[in-house]
Amino acid sequence: MFKKSALLVGMMFVPFATSAAEVPITGTVESRCIIQTDSAGTFGNPNAYTLTTKPADGGEPAIVRYDITLADSYYAEITPPTAFSSAPALPDVVTWVGSVEVSTVSDATGMGTYETDKVELGDTDRYDMTATGSTWFKISSTATMGGEKAFAGGTYTAVAEAVCIAK
Amino acid sequence: MLLPGYSYSESLVPYYGTTGNAITDQSLRWSMDNVLPNPPGLEIDTVIYNYTIRKETEDQVDVYVGNENASGTGYIFREHDQWRPGSLDGTEINKVVGVGRIHRDLWGDGSIDVVGNGSVENPNLIYTYRVDPCYDPQYNPNCPGYKPPEIKVPEYDIYDATSGDANQAQYNPDDELYDDEEGMSDDDKEKQEEEEEKDSKERLEKALAAADNSALFAQALSQSQVLDTMNQVTNMNSYYAQSIDGGTYRESIQLTDSQLPDNRRGLRNNLAQQRLHQQMVDEQYK
Repeated sequence: MFKKSALLVGMMFVPFATSAAEVPITGTVESRCIIQTDSAGTFGNPNAYTLTTKPADGGEPAIVRYDITLADSYYAEITPPTAFSSAPALPDVVTWVGSVEVSTVSDATGMGTYETDKVELGDTDRYDMTATGSTWFKISSTATMGGEKAFAGGTYTAVAEAVCIAK
Repeated sequence: MLLPGYSYSESLVPYYGTTGNAITDQSLRWSMDNVLPNPPGLEIDTVIYNYTIRKETEDQVDVYVGNENASGTGYIFREHDQWRPGSLDGTEINKVVGVGRIHRDLWGDGSIDVVGNGSVENPNLIYTYRVDPCYDPQYNPNCPGYKPPEIKVPEYDIYDATSGDANQAQYNPDDELYDDEEGMSDDDKEKQEEEEEKDSKERLEKALAAADNSALFAQALSQSQVLDTMNQVTNMNSYYAQSIDGGTYRESIQLTDSQLPDNRRGLRNNLAQQRLHQQMVDEQYK
């Protein structure tokens, strides 16, 4: 009723004028999939040409947590490092071996088979997040210098990628 | 081994706390009396637990985590972790379960039960709780709903020994009791009065002696209190706080003279003594 009246008044007093307005409509969508880094990994250096996150070799795997509040709506895709993001000059080609596995779940019934149901897409592991709750993934990585040449002294940093993809 | 630990406060504002690990041995059973503190207004908010499952991939293992209902049958809290075939050995579960403030009295013994071919490793379970000090309003006069305690004086039937016909007769001696006195001679009456007067003086002396003793006792007690007060005021800390540095304390006085002459007066005195001694010895041969 109010909209119709206003439109009529406008037509009577401004018969030849045209007007336009842009009315914004905003909204906020909070993600139902949140990724948190629980602990960053550490490379151990068991020999001159190897960097690894194996605890037995002085390393520590990275732990990433997915918090899902909407079941069966997301895939978790995690890719272990395939290159150094920062490093001293490399004397040869580095070979990368990485793995991802479910380390901890908050729901045994809904998440217990995530690991066996995962799909490997090249270097990337895809998990179907069918249940709500938190899942912790362990990312391991080993870098081996070609020709068993020694890594130069310095700090080496590599980055694993974890993404949440809506179905 | 982690021991249960908790915090406690005398404030009237509700406060929160967390227990230690309730599971302290391999029996996977625990008593809440050993886990929770005992303030009356304690309510459990959350149960947080984690463990690592040990199983073959193709097996199904069911793990039940719960607390018995202390005021009835069944469980006040129970979680079922269903590890289906395909779930891997060594997977950890980390679970937070809100229970919505259930009073401590309802929480019975806790347990983790494993059904199937598997086991749990490194179990850890803690409770978070909230304590309302004014759960019992009579805890503190500032608590809402506090009622000042009413002092009830018990009512007794007062027995009046002088009332009643039967007793009245006993305490109103009739005239016959005084017949003997009237029959006494004047000498006897005089002796009786003297004896009564003597007895009265003795009683008075005893009473005064008792009063003196009480006064002396009070005076001694007062003096003792004064001495105690003086001793408390005396500050001995400065004496206790002194310390002597360790090490070697060497002689600091040195004699600079290279030659010390004999005291001539001393020599003379010594000879005089010797002469006197000789005279005394010689006396016995005279």
